[in-house]
Amino acid sequence: MSRVVIVGGGLAAATTAGTLRDDGFDGDITLIGGEPIPPYERPPLSKEYLRGDETEPQWVRPPDWYAQNAIDARLGVRVERLLATERVVELEGGERVPFDQAVIATGVRNRRLPIPGIDLAGVLDLRSVPDADAIREEASGASKAVVVGMGFIGAEVASSLRQRGLDVTVVEFFATPLERVLGAELGRVIEALHRDHGVEMVFRDAAEAFEGVGRFEALVTKEGRRIEGDLAVVGVGVEPMTEVASDDLRIDNGIPVDAMLRTAVDGVWAIGDVARHDHPVFGPIRVEHFDNALRMGETVARNVQGARVVHDDPHWFWSDQYDEQIQMSGFAMSWDQTVIRGNVKDRSFAAFLLRDGQLLSTFSMNHKFDVRRSMPLIATRAHPDPGVLSDPDFDLRQLHPPKE
Amino acid sequence: MAEWVKVGSTGGVAEGEILSFSVGERQVAVANVEGDLHAFDDWCSHQQCSLAEGDLDGTIVECPCHGSQFDVTTGEAVQGPAIDPVDVFEMREEDGELQVMMKQE
Repeated sequence: MSRVVIVGGGLAAATTAGTLRDDGFDGDITLIGGEPIPPYERPPLSKEYLRGDETEPQWVRPPDWYAQNAIDARLGVRVERLLATERVVELEGGERVPFDQAVIATGVRNRRLPIPGIDLAGVLDLRSVPDADAIREEASGASKAVVVGMGFIGAEVASSLRQRGLDVTVVEFFATPLERVLGAELGRVIEALHRDHGVEMVFRDAAEAFEGVGRFEALVTKEGRRIEGDLAVVGVGVEPMTEVASDDLRIDNGIPVDAMLRTAVDGVWAIGDVARHDHPVFGPIRVEHFDNALRMGETVARNVQGARVVHDDPHWFWSDQYDEQIQMSGFAMSWDQTVIRGNVKDRSFAAFLLRDGQLLSTFSMNHKFDVRRSMPLIATRAHPDPGVLSDPDFDLRQLHPPKE
Repeated sequence: MAEWVKVGSTGGVAEGEILSFSVGERQVAVANVEGDLHAFDDWCSHQQCSLAEGDLDGTIVECPCHGSQFDVTTGEAVQGPAIDPVDVFEMREEDGELQVMMKQE
C-alpha cells in the first residue's frame, strides 16, 4: 500500500509529484491545492508577468500532465486538517483522505498590515496569478503607485511598475532596500539602482493608514507623510501556512523538519516555504526561495521512496530588476568581512560575505557565475583566500571539492 | 529536408567551452567536452536563456538564469526547473568548418 498525499499546490508540491513519477513511482499520488489552477512558477509574477511581457502563467508541468500521469490533482480544495499520527487529511466539507505518507507544502501567505484602509479598493498585494492580474489591471491607466516595503517583492514590483511607466514611491521601514538580507552597504547599491530609474524612496518610515473615499487615494505614514497614488502594493513579508498541521507536528515558525525533511511524525514530511529545515550548514532555517522549493521537492520524493538523502543545498535565488541580474547564494545572518570582485560602481560585481574566514553567502549583480560557483564552497564550509575571491580572473571552480 | 550548415571554423570551440552560433532564426550552442563537439539548441526550454552562457561540467550544462541542467549529448533536462529537453543536432568538422545538421521545418 503506497498512498502519497501532497498538501499544497505550488512548485514544491508539483515537483514532488513530478519527481515521484519521473522516478517510476507507481503508488497513488493525490495533490491537494488551494488555488483553482495547476501549480505554476511565482517568480515571473513580479517581473515578466507584471510588466505584461508574458500573459500565460509559467506552469511547473503542463496542465494536462497530472491526469496523464495518474496524479489525482484536487485543485481549489481547502484542507481543514492534516492529522499526522492518524494518517488522514480532512478536507473542507468533511471528506477524509487517508495516506501512508504525506508531504506538506502549503507555503506561506502574505503578512497583512493591521492598519486602517487596508481593505480599500486599489490596495493590493502579490502572491498569486489573480493578485498579479489585479495589479496589472489597476496599473493600466494609472500614473502613480505607492509600494509599501522594499524587500525583494517590493523592489521587483517597483521596478516592473517603473518599466510600465508609472511614477513609483516606496516606503521602507529599514534604512536601505533589502537591509536585513544584504546589509546596509549592499542595500545602498540597490537603492542607487532604483534612484537612477526614478523611484522615490522613503526610508525609516512605515505605513500608518491607507486613505481614500471608496478607493485608495493616499498613504499616510508613521512620520506624518501623505503620499498620493492611484494604487498601492504592499510587500511586508509572509507567514507560514501551518494551520492545517496537527499539534503532533510541533509548529514553531513553520513546520520543523530534520536534515532529511522529516517532521516529528514518521512518514510525514514538510518542504518549501512552510518547512523550517535543520540545515546541515546554516542550522534551523525557513527560506522562501523558488530554488529551495524545487530542490526540496526533488529530495523529498527520493526520501518518500526510501532513500535517506540529507538536504544540504546551500540555497540560491535570483531577482531581476530593470536590466540588472541579481543573484545570491548561501545564507548569512551576520558577517565580519565583505570581499568584492569586480566593480560595484559599474554594477558588475560579486560580494562574498565571510565570517571568521568562512564563506557564508555570495551576492552578485551581473556577475552570475561567481554566485553559483560559490555554492559548493558554501556547502563545504570552505575558508577561501580573500585574495583569490577578489581576483576576477580566478575561476572559483578550482576550489571545488573533488567529485565522488 | 536536412542539410549541413556551417556555424564556425574547426578548432573554434576550446575544450570545456560553449559557443553560440546563429543559424537562420535559431541559436545553436556548440560545447567541447574533452575534444568531442556537441551541438544543441542554445535556448533553455524553461525561459529561453542562453545555455552557452552557462557552466559546462562534464557533459552537463547549467542554465545561468535559473539553474536547469541539460545533458549536451542527449538534450535531456537532468535538473529542473526545465522539464522539456532541448534539441540536439548532429555535427561534424569538414573542410575546416564546423557544421551542424539542420532540418528545415
